[in-house]
Order: sequence, then C-alpha cells, then structure tokens
Amino acid sequence: MNRTGGNLYHNSTAQWLAYIALFGLLAIIPVVGAEPFQLRTFAGYAVFAMLAVSVSMVWGFGGILSLGQGIPYGLAAYCMGATMQMQFQTPDEPIPSFMLTNELEELPGVWKPFWHTHIGLILALGVPTLIMTVFGILMFQARLAGAFVAIMTLAMLNAFYSMAQDLQPFTAGFNGISPPNAFKAFGVEVDPYSPMMYWLALGVLAVVTFASKYMLQSKFGTIVQASRDDAERVRFLGYSVAYYQVVVFVFGGLIASLAGIVWVMIQQYVSPTALETPFSIYMVVWAAVGGRHSLFGAIVAAIVLNYLQTELADISETWQKAWLLILGGIFVAVVLLLPRGLAGAFEYLIGWIPFGGRSAKPAARPEAG
Amino acid sequence: MSVHDFWTPFSAGPFVNSLLIGLTLGAIWLLAALGLTIIYGTMGVINMAHGEFIMVGAYFTFMMQSMAGIPWLLCLPLAFIGVAILGWIVERLLIRYLYHRPLDTLLATWGVSLILVQGVRLIFGGEPQYVEVQPAALRESASIAFVHIPWLRIFILGATLALAAGTWAILYKTVYGVRVRAVMQNKEMAASFGINAQNVYGMTFAYGAGLAGVAGAMFGGLKTVFPDMGLGYIVEAFLVVVTGGGHLFGSIYSSAILGELNSVFSYFTNTTFARFVLFVLIVVFLRFFPQGLFPEAKARR
Amino acid sequence: MGIILELKDLTKAYDTYAVVDHLNLQVNEGELRCLIGPNGAGKTTTMDLITGRQKTTGGQVIFDGRNITGLKEHMIVRRGIGRKFQVPAVFKDLTVRENLEVAFNRNPDPFANMLMMFRRTDKARFDEIVDLIGLGERLGERAGYLSHGETQWLEIGMVLTQNPRLLLMDEPTAGMTEQETHKTSQIFNRLRGSHTLVVVEHDMTFVREIADVISVLHMGKLLAQGTMAEVENDPKVREVYLGAEGISDAT
Repeated sequence: MNRTGGNLYHNSTAQWLAYIALFGLLAIIPVVGAEPFQLRTFAGYAVFAMLAVSVSMVWGFGGILSLGQGIPYGLAAYCMGATMQMQFQTPDEPIPSFMLTNELEELPGVWKPFWHTHIGLILALGVPTLIMTVFGILMFQARLAGAFVAIMTLAMLNAFYSMAQDLQPFTAGFNGISPPNAFKAFGVEVDPYSPMMYWLALGVLAVVTFASKYMLQSKFGTIVQASRDDAERVRFLGYSVAYYQVVVFVFGGLIASLAGIVWVMIQQYVSPTALETPFSIYMVVWAAVGGRHSLFGAIVAAIVLNYLQTELADISETWQKAWLLILGGIFVAVVLLLPRGLAGAFEYLIGWIPFGGRSAKPAARPEAG
Repeated sequence: MSVHDFWTPFSAGPFVNSLLIGLTLGAIWLLAALGLTIIYGTMGVINMAHGEFIMVGAYFTFMMQSMAGIPWLLCLPLAFIGVAILGWIVERLLIRYLYHRPLDTLLATWGVSLILVQGVRLIFGGEPQYVEVQPAALRESASIAFVHIPWLRIFILGATLALAAGTWAILYKTVYGVRVRAVMQNKEMAASFGINAQNVYGMTFAYGAGLAGVAGAMFGGLKTVFPDMGLGYIVEAFLVVVTGGGHLFGSIYSSAILGELNSVFSYFTNTTFARFVLFVLIVVFLRFFPQGLFPEAKARR
Repeated sequence: MGIILELKDLTKAYDTYAVVDHLNLQVNEGELRCLIGPNGAGKTTTMDLITGRQKTTGGQVIFDGRNITGLKEHMIVRRGIGRKFQVPAVFKDLTVRENLEVAFNRNPDPFANMLMMFRRTDKARFDEIVDLIGLGERLGERAGYLSHGETQWLEIGMVLTQNPRLLLMDEPTAGMTEQETHKTSQIFNRLRGSHTLVVVEHDMTFVREIADVISVLHMGKLLAQGTMAEVENDPKVREVYLGAEGISDAT
C-alpha cells in the first residue's frame, strides 16, 4: 500500500469528520420521524454497537480475544434489573413477586442495596469492573494469551450463565427479571419508546467511542497495540504488559457494563440470555465483520447486521432461522478473505483516491479508523 | 433449589457412588476432548466447531437408526467415518488457508459451527430426537450394594479408554504417527524430509473430527439429540485440553481429575455451583501453571 | 571503575542437564565485553537468566551491587539493563519514530500514558540516538519496510532510548552484509565508555573490531577470558573450536 500519507483513510481530520457525520446521522433519526417501537429497536442497536466497540478495544487493539464480554454486560444488566425492580417495590411490599413464588419470606441481603437507585447504578458498574479486574489479573499475570484466553473467558461466561439460571430465588432463573416500570432518576422517567431513551443510548455510545478513540491515540494506546504485536519486546522496554492488558480488559468490560445498563433501561427485562455463549461470540462477529482494527467499522457492522436480522425476522420464521446460517457464512467469508473486515476493504478502496495532503497519521497504521 | 438444603453432609455410600460417577463423567469429558486434543496438539488449531461435530455425529446416528435400522454398535464406526469426512472437507475448504493465523481458525470454525447448528435446525427442527442404545441391557444400571451406575456410562468409560489407547498407538506406533509428530515438532524440517504437512494436517483434522463423531453417537444415547447439544460439551472439553497442556496424556489425567472434582463438589453442593467452583479453580490453577499439568519444553531464541 | 554485573554460580538446568553450569563472570562499568563460544555453550541462556526471561535454577545475578535474581523482566529493565534480541524485534506496524517513542519509557504507568499524546520526548536524546543509528531519513516509515540491517539498528536505538547502564546484545550482526556489520561496529565504538556492553557474537572479524575483553563459554562454564590475542592462543579454546584450527575460522 502507500508509503507515507496519501490515504484519506488515515487522515485524522477525515476520521473525526466521519465520526461526527455518523453520529449526526444517527441523532436525527427521531427528528426525521420514526415510530416509537422503531426508536426502541434503534436504541437497542446502539447497545450492540457499544458491545462491538468493547470487543474492538479488547481484541482488535489489545489482542485479547475475549469470548466473555457477556460477563460484564450480563452482570451489569442484572444489577440494573434489580435496581429497576426495587424502584417498583415499596416498604409495604418489599419482596419482588418472583421471590414470593420461590418461597422467600424476606428480601435477600444481596438485593437490599438496590433499594437505592444510586447505589444500584454504582454496583452495576462496580461489580463487573471488580470481577473483570480479578479475572484479568489472574489471566494476564500468568501470561495466558491467544486461544487460552478465549477458552477461559468462554468458560467463565458459561459458569455465570448457569449460575444465573440456577439461582432462581435471586435471579428468577430462566424467566428473568422484568421490572414493571421504566427507569426513573432525578425525577425523570425514561420511557423506552421515547426519543429521550434513544438519544441517551446514542449519547452513551458516542461517549464510549470517543473515549476509546482518545485512548488509542495516546501513548497508552500505542503501547497496548505494541503489546498485541510483540508482548515480549514491550516487556523488555520496561513496561508491565500484564498491567496494560488488565487495564484495557477492564476498560472493555466497563463499556460492556454500560451497554448492559442501557439495554435493561430499553427492554425493562434481563434474563440469562444476556450471558449466553453465542451472544458474546456475536459481539466478536460484529467487530470482525466491521474490521477488528476499526471502531467505526465495528459500530456500523453492529448496526447493519442487527438491522438485517430484525428485517429478515419480520419476513418469516424461515428467514429468521436462515439468518444465522447467513451470518455464519458472512463470518467465515470475512475471516477467510477479509481479515481486516469491511474497514480494511474500505481502506484499500479509498487508497485509490488521490489525496494530496500529508496525513496526520502515518500510513497503514492499524489503529486508524 | 432451596437455599437451606444447599449443603449435603458426608455419608460414605453415596459419596463413593459419586466418586465412581465422577470417573465416568471424566470419561465423557475425555471422549469429547479427545479429538480436540489431537487437533490442537498437532496443528495448534482450536476447533470451535468440535461440539457441532459431536452434534452431527449424534444426528447421523439418529438417522442411521431411524431410517436404515442400523444397530447402535455398528453406528459408532459409521459415525466416525461420516464425521471424519465432514472434518476433512472443512479442513480442505477452510482451515488449510488459515494455518498462519491460529486465532482466526478459532473464529472461522465458530462460523462453521453456526452454519452446522442452523443447518441441522432447518432440516430436523429444534425438537429433541432420541438415539436408542442397543443392546437394551446398556440402558439399565449396574447396582452393587450402594453403587448405582448406568451400564452405558461404564460402556463409555471403556470405549473412551480404548479410543485413547488406539490414538496413542496410532501416534506412537505407526509410520503415520511418526509423521504427525515430526510435523508437530518442526513443520519445515519435516517437509524437507518429504513429509507432506498439508496431508498430515488434513488427515489429523479428519481423525479428530471422527472421534467427535463417535462421541456424538454415544452422547446421543446418553442424553437427547438437539441442534445446540454441542455447547453442552464443548466448554468442559476445552478446559480438559487447556489444563492438560494440549497433549494426549495431559488430557487423560486432567479429564479424570476434573471429572472427580466436579462430582465431589456436586455431591456436597449442586451441579451448577460445582461447575462454577471448578471453573474458578481452573482459572486460579492456570495462574500458577499456565501451561497446564504437563507443560512441554519449548525451545525459543 | 567498579563491577557493574556479577554472575555468581549462575545455573540453569533441565532435569540433570545443565545449560549454564555454575557460571562466574564479572563485567566492569564502561567495558565492552564479548561473549563467544560454540553453539549450545549457553550464551543466549545466560542473557535470558540475567534479564529474567528464564528462571535460574541456582546462583545469583548481581547488578550494581544488588541482587536482581528472580525479578520480573520489566523490573530488571527498569533497573537499567537493556536487551536486544537475536531475531530483531521491532513493531512492524508502527513507524520508526513511534517505535522509538514507545521505547522512551519515562513513566511506565498505563494511566499516566493515557494522558500522553506523544509530545513529551527528550528531544536532545532522541536526536542523538537517531543520529547514532542513522535512520534520520526514515522516521516516518513503517518499521516493517526497513531492511534487515536497519531493523537491527532500530532495535538498538530502542534499547538505547531506555538509557540503560548495561546493554546486552544478542548477535547484533546476524544476517548483516559486510558494510552493515562495519557500520554496527562504528555504532558500538561510539557507545564505548558511556555504556557498558555485553555482546554475544559469532562473527570473529566483528569481535576483533570491537572487543576489549572476550569471555569464552563452553558447556555452560567460563572456559577462558582475556584479550583477543590471549584467547586465541589459549590451548583449551583451540581445542573447543574444531581442534587446532583456531577460533578465527569458526563461525
């Protein structure tokens, strides 16, 4: 490819403009006019996009193939579900109905903090962060890498999944928790079908995207990517690679936690499906199809793939089933033929457009985009 | 589950029984992990579709039984051959192009697994199917004093050991095995001695897939057959491979240890909690022994 | 000049076979020491043991009067030991400049580095190193496009950016052309005095050009030590290197 500058894809200004255009476009959807139920679906896409960004950070840039991004997502979702459920309960009726069916006579201790919305929110971010930190320290200090990390994250996800199903009195098991009312905070009720909910989800997506983008352009980001390419060399430059990996792993977990919180606000529902293995791998699929080294690509792919899925499911049940077949095919084809995803293909194509200015970013640097 | 009867107190008879059950559980995990171990150990490929190969083996057995009336025992070798051919095709069309990107094979094989699950679901529907184990005696339990173990589990234990021994013999006693091990140690050097690494890989992948096929034929009899059944085995199978260090003997030992631990924890608490504790223990274990029970000495410059 | 590095009975054994066998060695500050020996003599392993890449089975590594045995690699680096690998290791996707900037490790903390947008590099030192390794023209280039020799120099530059008190170089001229080897020896001669260097090398012409003192390892032990002339005339060394042909012909 090109040697220095030349490719518009790597131009820093062009990149920021692309992001602004993308978010601007997404932001005007409610203004242009969309049915409330459509808005709710679109808000859900923003959540999927956050998850794709999370995977992109951890895997694409950090080189840590985590198949367990569902862990922080699901744990945060459960905390949020509990918080919203307790907003519904009153001191006279302190016990959620599913607990009564499970013959609990008083509110379990682990549920008590969720009486307070602010504590609930803190827990929704704090619990996953703590677990990911401990888990990350164990894995990365042992210098686990590659497939071993994938397997361990997958196993832990699985363990949490079966716990969520099995601890019926606390999690409502297979049925899941469905808080009856929309989430309220600061005296405002966030109606899942409202433009406010949609903009909130989009706003969170924008914040995590720009935070990630900023981090990648800092020295931290370069060291993380350098560790991905040659961990030993980085270690021999005096950096603790494990420390950097834990930080990027936890950061990705934090994004996934935010996604979990927003998801429950939109759906008013959380169940073990949040912790299912295939869902966590779908997140990797979105990031891979969009381009593992591109946040922009990850976002677009997450939205487009999920949009296609919803549209096909609307046609008929057969199409709904066939979709996973198609997705499997797309995924295999992308891994095989387009390892850098759609963003990589785009980078190649746009490289043909003559672009005179010297780019702010060096050519072919993977973190671009 | 009620919170109050969470902890089961110790009592000798049932405890011994659960130890024996643990052994058969270890055998089931080993059976699921055998093909995975060979493929990972030889090619460094983590085959995410392994669980689906098991599932295909189970459906294949179901079809042979329900359509052609083939006896179950005969289905076992046929399932091996059928899934081995499928594995060979997958290697030919896909894996072959990804050897220089080991993590990508993990992703690509997951794509394959998605296609297999969904394909099977479209053809057979999602409802469970049943494989009938024959002879009927295998469907009963062996009961001696306080010990109750289904004969099928004992059969699986025996069959697994036989398959492991057979695999060992192939790897260490045949010319083909010498080739496989030569390629494992140094692909380039093996190639310079005229060994076709591509063929060795293709055959190894097919063999590993075939083992999954046999496993599926047996698991189909053990539980029901449904499109997602692979997921129920794959995680434990991966953990067996990882804790064992990625080679045959490691997997044999680790499956026995993990099966026993799981069974003992299950005895005192319950299956789910046991699983959780076991998985956490494995993470902690890998912290101190990142290369598993039996690390292989590596030469690096 | 004091002793900066001291190996005391350093041992690395697999089962019963010792790759490094009770090795005792001292290196003075500011010295340029060459480590030679036939294949399997334990040179690379010794470097691994000093830098913590492999765990010792016995003995101690004393650096600057303090015992550093058993520390993690990055902690040893922070004490002031830099290492260049035998197979050049640079970040191929980053530019030459970025490679050097990553190597400029003033604060290794990840959170501090989140706030760093690459502006705070020690300009004078950066220029000095770029001048030394002669890559001034190619700063914007991806490291993956560099020639083999340039890659070696870049890695040397990255290690130097750390400003280590002791530099370990594993076969820095491996695979280099004659001119490239010559340029490398010029780099080393410029470093002499301001840095302590320990160089593992097979190329005897190169060793002759740069070495103060040569240590010969054999079977994990120190066989001989001295100037080029002393080592060359040592009968034990002659015996080890293919009978009586002498080390100059061995590679």
